[in-house]
Amino acid sequence: MDPTDTSTSTTDSLRRAAIDRSVRAPVLFFFANAAMWLLAATVMGLVASIKLFAPAFLDHGWLWFLNYGRLQPAHLNAFIYGWAMQAGLGASIWLMARRCGVILEKGAGTLIVACVFWNIGITLGELGILLGGGSPPFEWLFNGGTSYQWLEYPSLVWPVLLLAFILVAWKLYGMFANARKEAVFMITPWYILGACLWFPWIYITVNLFLNHYAHYTPLGAMGAAVNAWYVSGLIFLFFVPVGLGACYYFIPKITGQPVASYQLAQVGFWTLAALGGWTGYQKYMGGPLPSWMPALGGAVLILMLAPAGIVGLNHHLTTRGRHGMIQTSPTLRFIFVGSFSYVLMSGFAAVLGTFWGGALVQFTMAEYGFHLMALYAFFSMTMFGCIYYIVPRLTGCEWLSVRLIRNHFWFSVYGIAALVICMTIGGLAQGWSMNDPSNWDRNFSGVVEVSHGYLVGRTVAWAFILWSNTWFFIHLLFMVAGLGRRGVEPTLLVHDSHHDYVPGTLTSVTTTAQ
Amino acid sequence: MPQFRKFVLILAALFFVPWFIMIVQVLRAEKLTPEAYDKDRDGLDGFFPGDVVYRQGQLIYQQEGCVQCHTQMIRPSFAGIGDGWKKGWGSDQSAIPHDVIRPNVMLDYLREPVAPLGIMRIGPDLANFGYRAPDLNTLYLELYAPRALHPWSVMPSYRNLFVLKAIEGAGSSDAIKFPEGSGPGKDKEVVPTEEARQLVKYLISLRKDAPLPGHVPESAKK
Repeated sequence: MDPTDTSTSTTDSLRRAAIDRSVRAPVLFFFANAAMWLLAATVMGLVASIKLFAPAFLDHGWLWFLNYGRLQPAHLNAFIYGWAMQAGLGASIWLMARRCGVILEKGAGTLIVACVFWNIGITLGELGILLGGGSPPFEWLFNGGTSYQWLEYPSLVWPVLLLAFILVAWKLYGMFANARKEAVFMITPWYILGACLWFPWIYITVNLFLNHYAHYTPLGAMGAAVNAWYVSGLIFLFFVPVGLGACYYFIPKITGQPVASYQLAQVGFWTLAALGGWTGYQKYMGGPLPSWMPALGGAVLILMLAPAGIVGLNHHLTTRGRHGMIQTSPTLRFIFVGSFSYVLMSGFAAVLGTFWGGALVQFTMAEYGFHLMALYAFFSMTMFGCIYYIVPRLTGCEWLSVRLIRNHFWFSVYGIAALVICMTIGGLAQGWSMNDPSNWDRNFSGVVEVSHGYLVGRTVAWAFILWSNTWFFIHLLFMVAGLGRRGVEPTLLVHDSHHDYVPGTLTSVTTTAQ
Repeated sequence: MPQFRKFVLILAALFFVPWFIMIVQVLRAEKLTPEAYDKDRDGLDGFFPGDVVYRQGQLIYQQEGCVQCHTQMIRPSFAGIGDGWKKGWGSDQSAIPHDVIRPNVMLDYLREPVAPLGIMRIGPDLANFGYRAPDLNTLYLELYAPRALHPWSVMPSYRNLFVLKAIEGAGSSDAIKFPEGSGPGKDKEVVPTEEARQLVKYLISLRKDAPLPGHVPESAKK
């Protein structure tokens, strides 16, 4: 199956196949649900973007639940919990089983149950944000959204999500505890275990504080600081470790070269573990918090350049001499973009952590650009890479179409690049306009007008991403349904010479002699 | 598995420090109490902060996602960054205010469960909206049809907080009065629901520019 594994013995291949079989159902279930939420989140992101510059779009009385204030959090939460975390969990299960060499004897059912409950939780949460509150006829069913950033789901949802997550994390810890002894270098499991420890920890803390404790003992401005701490924590203590864990697995796997430096990898891991919990407060720099808190958060964001540089260097050295494989391997291509974006994203975060950068673009769309850079350019691209590698090994068939993969890749790359660039420059324009004293004797219309063009750009970017992810979703569904291409050769992105597009179908046909 | 246990313990210990510091900050924040003005020093009586925001309306504010576009945080005016919007963003509503708007402090948000400091600032800051709030009818109109008064506005219409119905008899006393050329039509009227009333009551209660004890400007002394 794997062209780079020619030297390994048949026993190993058989064992790997047995491992793949044992985690097949839960991993595919996670991926399919995740791709569905990705599609939903993308559509909501597109509509929300349009509404920002053309408020008359879809503005009918009966569509009140599509107001930006409800749609934007629904979009981001579906993206984060529906797509990103769910894909991350699916990939984690497979990575952990493979890296630890553990066949999942029993517990596949538990994982599926966890996934079902995770999706029930998200569905309730999305309905709560969109329809919740006192508007009939749903007021008896849902509390409204909470308006806590990235925690907008009504308070009944978080225990469901937490329990589902703990079920999965428990299984992952079990795999690590039963790891075969010869698996020595465990950087990927380290990262995944870290995420499994940190996420429930921050999630339970923040939810107890904001959704329950605060109603009896008001937290005031500190509640907002806790919220900002969570947002940053979710990026640096869940998405970064899971994404990097996948990079550390697939880059050596596909290039066929060992990780360049184990020492660097360990240093990178432990610096992330030591620094990840301190950030977030810089969002409210200049705000009503003790001023050392935003200063500390910003300073640590700058220090986080260290793990980013270390990981980037390590991945660069591992790929050195094999860059040609980025051309052919879909997995490596996506993961290359993801891991490169991690370095860029850390640079962006460091700029947001400085006073001149952070205060200038504070409360502008630059923050959204940064979030999408972390969630899409880094994490989602990495997860796409994982899915392109993992799914054929679970379904026993190969991806149908090079054309669709390439389409997915380029539209995603152009889309997210346009999005991040628009949001960054737009954020600067917005910040300059807002902070310019010569505007202060006018009303706010100047700031609204100056953002207009960039918001159009954001919409175009989401349209690109929607196009790419629609085809990704369809392609993945074909694979999960077992309708992939039957063949021994993996679908590689070689040049088109032997691919003929069949008019009227979704796919191209590979006519290579096997 | 001593190796495994050691790994998890070190991970947990590393994260425990920032987590614990965050918890301590929260526990200290909830111990805050109002501060009394000193009559001799400040020339004012009573306590800071005085009024509390209207909590029931804040729930509507949160449920409708207003924080996606509106902040409630006036920033300090050093380093060229700040929120010195002259007319409207502070308590001084004259065209050229006498004093710079005061940046917000932690006590401003006392007794609010979680202060909605805001995510983005697509619309103006609302920390001191209560000082500049227009009359009730205009406020309802801005919520129901934001572009009736400001054509450049990108605010959504919150029609779900209002009821559009046929006029019965002389009509409801609290129906929105529309400017010429807009409105729902001749025989219909728009009446705010209980939620709209609560939201508006909350917006009017937003006043976070009372002078700080010990830093009362001369103009505010009685």
